[in-house]
Amino acid sequence: MKLASFIVKRLFLMLLVLFGVSVLVFVISKVIPADPVGAILGGNAPVELVEDLKRRLGLDKPLINQFFDYMSGLLKGDLGRSLKTNRPVVKDIAEFFPATLELAISATLLSIVLGILLGILSAVYRNKFIDHFSRVFSILGVSMPVFWIGLLLLLLFYFRLGWLPGGGRLSLFVTPPTKYTGLLVLDSLLSGNMEAFKDALAHLVLPTVVLGYSAAASIARITRASMLDVLRQDFIRTAKAKGIGKRLVIYRHALRNALIPVVTIIGLTFGGLLEGAVLTETIFSWPGLGRYIVNALLVLDYPAIMGGTLFVAVIYSLVNLVVDIVYAALDPRMRI
Amino acid sequence: MKKLLVLTLLVLTLLAAYAKTPKDTLVIAANTEIFITLDPAVCYETFPAAVVTAAYSGLTKIEPVNGVLTPVPELAERWEVSPDGTVWKFYLRKGLKFSNGDPLTAEDVVFSFRRVLKIRKSPAWLFEELGLTAENMEQTIYAEDAQTVVLKTKPLAANIVLSIIAPPWGGIVNKKLVLANEVNGDLGEAYLTDKSIGAGAGPYVVTEWKRREMITMEANPNYWRGQPPLKKIIIRDVPEETTQFLLVQKGDVDIAWNITTEQAARLRESKPSNIRLVTTPGQSNEYIAMNVGWGPFKDERVLLAIKYAIDYDAIINSVMRDFAVLNQNFMPIGYFGYIELNPFKRDVAKAKQLLAEAGYPNGFEVELITSTTEIRRNEAVVVQANLAEIGIKANISLMPSGEMFKKYRQQGHQMIIAGWGIDYPDPDALAKPFANYRIKQLAWRNMWYDDYAADLAEKAGAEQDSAKRAQLYKELQEYWIYKSPFVMLYQPVIFWAVSNDVVGFEKACEGYTLTFDFTKISKK
Repeated sequence: MKLASFIVKRLFLMLLVLFGVSVLVFVISKVIPADPVGAILGGNAPVELVEDLKRRLGLDKPLINQFFDYMSGLLKGDLGRSLKTNRPVVKDIAEFFPATLELAISATLLSIVLGILLGILSAVYRNKFIDHFSRVFSILGVSMPVFWIGLLLLLLFYFRLGWLPGGGRLSLFVTPPTKYTGLLVLDSLLSGNMEAFKDALAHLVLPTVVLGYSAAASIARITRASMLDVLRQDFIRTAKAKGIGKRLVIYRHALRNALIPVVTIIGLTFGGLLEGAVLTETIFSWPGLGRYIVNALLVLDYPAIMGGTLFVAVIYSLVNLVVDIVYAALDPRMRI
Repeated sequence: MKKLLVLTLLVLTLLAAYAKTPKDTLVIAANTEIFITLDPAVCYETFPAAVVTAAYSGLTKIEPVNGVLTPVPELAERWEVSPDGTVWKFYLRKGLKFSNGDPLTAEDVVFSFRRVLKIRKSPAWLFEELGLTAENMEQTIYAEDAQTVVLKTKPLAANIVLSIIAPPWGGIVNKKLVLANEVNGDLGEAYLTDKSIGAGAGPYVVTEWKRREMITMEANPNYWRGQPPLKKIIIRDVPEETTQFLLVQKGDVDIAWNITTEQAARLRESKPSNIRLVTTPGQSNEYIAMNVGWGPFKDERVLLAIKYAIDYDAIINSVMRDFAVLNQNFMPIGYFGYIELNPFKRDVAKAKQLLAEAGYPNGFEVELITSTTEIRRNEAVVVQANLAEIGIKANISLMPSGEMFKKYRQQGHQMIIAGWGIDYPDPDALAKPFANYRIKQLAWRNMWYDDYAADLAEKAGAEQDSAKRAQLYKELQEYWIYKSPFVMLYQPVIFWAVSNDVVGFEKACEGYTLTFDFTKISKK
């Protein structure tokens, strides 16, 4: 019951956040001295044509009217129409989000497995080889630019060795699976299309490694620090004194307590990946949300910017909510 | 750990199975971010326009004839024009069909042309230049019978009219099909945004556009000239140039559409066995413009000083890696009426002297705006250094195109580096924007209200006699080159990395960025 009221409260706060975000983004996009219609019509278009199109799009109305038009649309679930693609923003987001979601899930899974494993090993075998290795791995992961790792991996595994495809989500001549979720790996399994499954999985490997690696690096560092902290505590010594096996002490007693800050990082990482990873998407020709939003920013396609930002805000709020629920599950004190 | 490694290697080996592209299919890797729409009445971007041109035939077609881009008959087998150049009659070929087999008649042509005016997006101003508007279209665009279309234009040189009505914007759409798919009176705009199935009569049909993934075109079995050599063309979205370059070298794609100047230069030198570099002079130009309504630029001697201060060779050699040719004229080399005029060479002493005569012996400070692309950034740096040598301090402001064009259209800039993509292959397409302020284009944006130049551009555009027309353009070019506030930096050379399995690309790309002919491409 307490959890339910907590969730309701959080959802209400989320609405306030979304309203704040929409006002902020609207104001910023209107303050910038740029002309999205002019940019979209191109440099050759004469002034009259630009002004005429602005009139037809209602962009010559007072700002406050434009804002109310936008907000009333928003309440009806209409994010407006992208100036650039001339399509409903909702449709654009729905088209690009599954690719982002698929990559975010696989990269997060990889980063959790790799990060937590390395973090634990490095805390348990502190100052041993595995610890040094893990620390170098983490520093490289957080400091190497994503586009550089991406290009290197592409050069090695695609160009030199020919083991993996050179970008995209599916090979050109592979029949795509029936669309259920938009996640190609899942859809190809559901439709029993094993050729597409193999192919989609192969396409997922490199971008997952690139994104998962840098995320795993931060997770490993946090896990290590948190584990070291917990391992020093009295209840661990008590557990050891009681004669409980090393593995049990580490996995049941220490890890569970050490995971709380790690969950925060995982939540933030996943949230961040869900808004799209523009560099990775660009290098691996991944048709995700990141490129959509960044390109909207470049031409100041403000309905797309607003829609994209609101969507990202919703995602972040939801991920944070889930993180809080996981906290409660991990740590009974939080439920009080 | 070892088991895991072996398993990973096994999975990777199983996954590795990539073949060359099929013989009847052309695969292009390109950044498709520029694709906004494939509707002929709306599309205005270079590469998408090439796709639209492949999907929609028009009354005429732009074709290189003896190296000169010329409008030639396509769906119209012939035409007649009144002596004053205002009444046009186009006679359609017999038995024309859209890709779905529907007959193509004069009604479809009339509908398509009026549709451009009614939708009134980017290409509309070109039709309006001909004197055709949404208000007068009932009287100026009509069908005399099922085979004959009448256009009533302003008095203009024939080449202008015949070029503007060619695709992309002059592409003929299937009236019946488009109206059947109309939503909220949009004249089928939403429907035609991403496909042309049954809607066009061009050599190819756009069957699918999966945004940020690929665009697929298939040969039109009903194309009046017969099926083109390639069955299928796939444009695969690959936004990163390096990835494109790797894909074409590996043979997974046949063409890398957007390689960098560095990659092109490397290809020019290394000459690998499986791919080649293909180049063609671009139908555009790169220029610096000065707003003559602003401070020191009001004095013609300052404009001239800057023309002498620029190191044209450095920009062509270092920034463009020789993928550009010196052309200080507003017209591309080889256009009707073109005369070779390259009078300016870097001469610091002369530039300083001109500045001193104008009353600026110690130079002045100016804001130089340009867009954020790498080439423009580098050009701005060279220009800044050149101007510094004659005492002018140029402060570079890089801005996204949305911001830059707003400033430019409001005459709010002092100095700008920009480019102009040519809309139709006639000197008029350049003379008017660069010399005639009355049409509120580039001359107007730079406040160059010069009636002599504007009159010459107008007169030459309306002149029906070729010899007289060429003479008018000669006079205009000779006047413009010294008097105008434009410094033409170069005419770019466009390049692609092309697989050696691809035949005819050199012919197909002739005339790009204005036109591109996919029907000339086949594969070994």
